[in-house]
Amino acid sequence: MSEETTSNAKKFIVPIGPQHPALKEPGHFEFTVDGEIVTGAAVRLGYVHRGIEKGCEQNTWVQDLYLLERVCGICSHSHATAYVLGVEKLAKVIVPPRAQAIRTLFLELERVHSHLLWLGVAAHEGGYDTLFMYSWRDRETVMDILENLSGNRVNYSANLLGGVKYDVDQKQSDEIRKGIDFLEERTKYYLNVVTTDETFLGRTRHVGQMTLEQAQALDAIGPTARASGLQRDVRVDAPYAAYTDFPIKLVTANGGDLEARFIVRINELFESYRIIRAILDNLPEGELTARMPRRIPEGEAISRVEAPRGELFYFLKSNGSDKPERVKVRTPSLCNWASVTHLAVGHVLADMPMMLAGIDPCFSCNDRSVTIRKEGDSQAWTWEELRRYGIEYYK
Amino acid sequence: MDINESLQRAEQILSTWAPVALHPSPERVDVSLPDKWLKAAVLALRDAKWGYLSAITGMDHPGTVEPVTEEQRWQRLENEGENATGGESREGTLEVLYHFCEGAAVLTLRVSVRYSFPVLPSICGIIPAATLYERELSEMFGIRLVGTPNVDKLLLPDDWPDGVFPLRKSFHGLTEVEKSGPEVKK
Repeated sequence: MSEETTSNAKKFIVPIGPQHPALKEPGHFEFTVDGEIVTGAAVRLGYVHRGIEKGCEQNTWVQDLYLLERVCGICSHSHATAYVLGVEKLAKVIVPPRAQAIRTLFLELERVHSHLLWLGVAAHEGGYDTLFMYSWRDRETVMDILENLSGNRVNYSANLLGGVKYDVDQKQSDEIRKGIDFLEERTKYYLNVVTTDETFLGRTRHVGQMTLEQAQALDAIGPTARASGLQRDVRVDAPYAAYTDFPIKLVTANGGDLEARFIVRINELFESYRIIRAILDNLPEGELTARMPRRIPEGEAISRVEAPRGELFYFLKSNGSDKPERVKVRTPSLCNWASVTHLAVGHVLADMPMMLAGIDPCFSCNDRSVTIRKEGDSQAWTWEELRRYGIEYYK
Repeated sequence: MDINESLQRAEQILSTWAPVALHPSPERVDVSLPDKWLKAAVLALRDAKWGYLSAITGMDHPGTVEPVTEEQRWQRLENEGENATGGESREGTLEVLYHFCEGAAVLTLRVSVRYSFPVLPSICGIIPAATLYERELSEMFGIRLVGTPNVDKLLLPDDWPDGVFPLRKSFHGLTEVEKSGPEVKK
């Protein structure tokens, strides 16, 4: 196509979403295209915004733990951990080492389930549904472990202000080891598949390439940044919970393309398995909780946690009462959108779903905010009320 | 890199604009700036390759309102006796915190604007990734960012009424009038 035709051609905008742009969550993208080539990208979020930050200001410090754990179903424990670490900093409470180790155990199990979930979704976007079904089947192993430990598959609710709720006994520890051994074998197989399968490499190699310089300029974080060789991992840079006792080896790759993002996440799985085993081998003895005051002293605290998708940032401000003055949540997906909207330019439209999936976006992460109840409305619904509401809604 | 080394370097870079730095905790340094120097400070950090922009936090500090009726004034005199200040009112401010991280070190630039003039320069020209944070900030707190590339709604619904900012302390839900805006067809 000559220069003239391009400059005279009208802009075409291809809307993708809000339904199912890449993952099964809502987000809206507008790609400006010239033929098949993307020349611009814009993003619109908020379809599942729930007003959680505002909600936090209206509830007590204890209630907020339960609210914040529900920011995201995939990395619920990361949110709860970032929050409790911040509140404990404000209250100057020292948490027993056993509790910190169990927190870390949950964090790594969560990373395993999240990365396996992503592997399946990304494979599905690449049209490789067999890999999707394999990885989701295997992911059930870690889901069972989490359910066995906490009674819950998704919101484990393992954290308390000042400690953890669940202990790990010998029987559970043996079961975790058995599950991890199985997953390690499967993970080796996945690493082999994503680096050797010709058709799949056609969808990932040299696609969505981000150089180290670009990653730095776009302030990328998490596996997305590490796949471009950027050494950035909160677990290594600013160890929290029990990461000082169980140090993590930084996993990076140099490709910067989608293939590298697969490699980084899969190699992180091996690192997680190693840490899980190390924690089970050296679980410190002692109490599970420390005493927390009901009113949190005045002050501000920042806490950072490496969630499966990257750095999760919490800013807490207390005014000395039993409710927080401000809770700011900056989730990893929000940082990585910038990398997609910048890198999309120059790629073909067909690569967009893969590129979107490549950063492992989590829409619930971005969208947090409140249904406002009117005065006098009952908060608890009876089964009958709920049923009626459902019937009315779908009429 | 050593935390103290990082923090000292940050203080040194910013010393031109903000001579006073606070250390709320060992890994943090807080620097308050007037808004006119915000861009220069961010540019200096970028040029020196200090860390990365991790988050932008907005905070609302509502002001105190002067008592309006004669009765309220008397009430106040009675309550506070001779120490009554005669009903001074303080205008509310919006504080914006720019958090930068390098390793374990966290640097926070603090900028305040008044309710009557909630305007800040955009830093997107220096840090392109800030665009989403700035869109969130302007939607939730009503701060106008001069020069930000995109001011479309990011998180709030399309029919959200203008001039209502949910993260301000004065927001307690939409009124019936605001909910059934002019666009809603019955």
